[in-house]
Amino acid sequence: MTVGFATGTDTLEEVRTAEKTDLDQPWVVVVWNDPVNLMSYVSYVFQTYFGYSEAKARTLMLEVHEQGRSAVVSGSREKVEQDTVALHSYGLWATFEKSGSE
Amino acid sequence: MAKPFKSTRRGITGALEPGEARLLGALLDDVISMLEPETGPSEDPLAAIVGMSGADAESTAPDDSAVRRLLPDAVRGDDDEALAFRRLTERSLREQKIGALRSSALAIESNPVTLTDEQARLLAQALNDVRLVLADRLSIETEEDAERLHDIADSKDVDDVESYLALVYNFITWLQESLVQAMLKAARLQR
Repeated sequence: MTVGFATGTDTLEEVRTAEKTDLDQPWVVVVWNDPVNLMSYVSYVFQTYFGYSEAKARTLMLEVHEQGRSAVVSGSREKVEQDTVALHSYGLWATFEKSGSE
Repeated sequence: MAKPFKSTRRGITGALEPGEARLLGALLDDVISMLEPETGPSEDPLAAIVGMSGADAESTAPDDSAVRRLLPDAVRGDDDEALAFRRLTERSLREQKIGALRSSALAIESNPVTLTDEQARLLAQALNDVRLVLADRLSIETEEDAERLHDIADSKDVDDVESYLALVYNFITWLQESLVQAMLKAARLQR
């Protein structure tokens, strides 16, 4: 990911455990790092599409940026298929896979 | 020079110079034509209505690497599975993207540009797609590649097609960043 002219006023807050992705679900959506998408935009998409808090969206965004990938949501096969296509409509590089298949 | 987007009581506003608006309009049109599906006369009309690609058409991943980035595989490491999923979903994704690009081309025709939340979201998607295509043409594959082009910020830095494309890429990046910051600010105020 990349940064635009302004990094904004975000602060890194601790994400409450209750908000964490529930990995007991069988399928996950994975977002992959790419050098084009803006860090601010990826955070915005996580907030807007999934309804995540600013802090959770930023944590997941940084995980994508620093680790190259992040499982951002889990659920049934039908749900992760839908979410993957929605993230493609935003231009994010997303795939779905069985939870724990990495 | 364009003014950065701002969150105001009337919505998200910004202003483009006439030359910038024409350039962006042309880029949006280019991406629309890249995404328009080639429909043959033999196509199954029912499949077209439900957004499925015809069995014989678009049955493989797009040849153009930029289009492939706009419409990526949804499954990694399993080409058959990725292709099966593409056949079910690719057409509606193309149409969604074309819709966002068209709405954005219309929105930037007015000056100043005033956007509802929905229009702002569609413009952010459209600008992202334009950047993905430009990045493909500029062979931006790593973060170092992207950084290498950062300094090209003025027309006096332009001496060939690549540096011109880099200048355009940096401008669209700046525009998208200002739009996203305005949307994030608007979202904070709404909470």
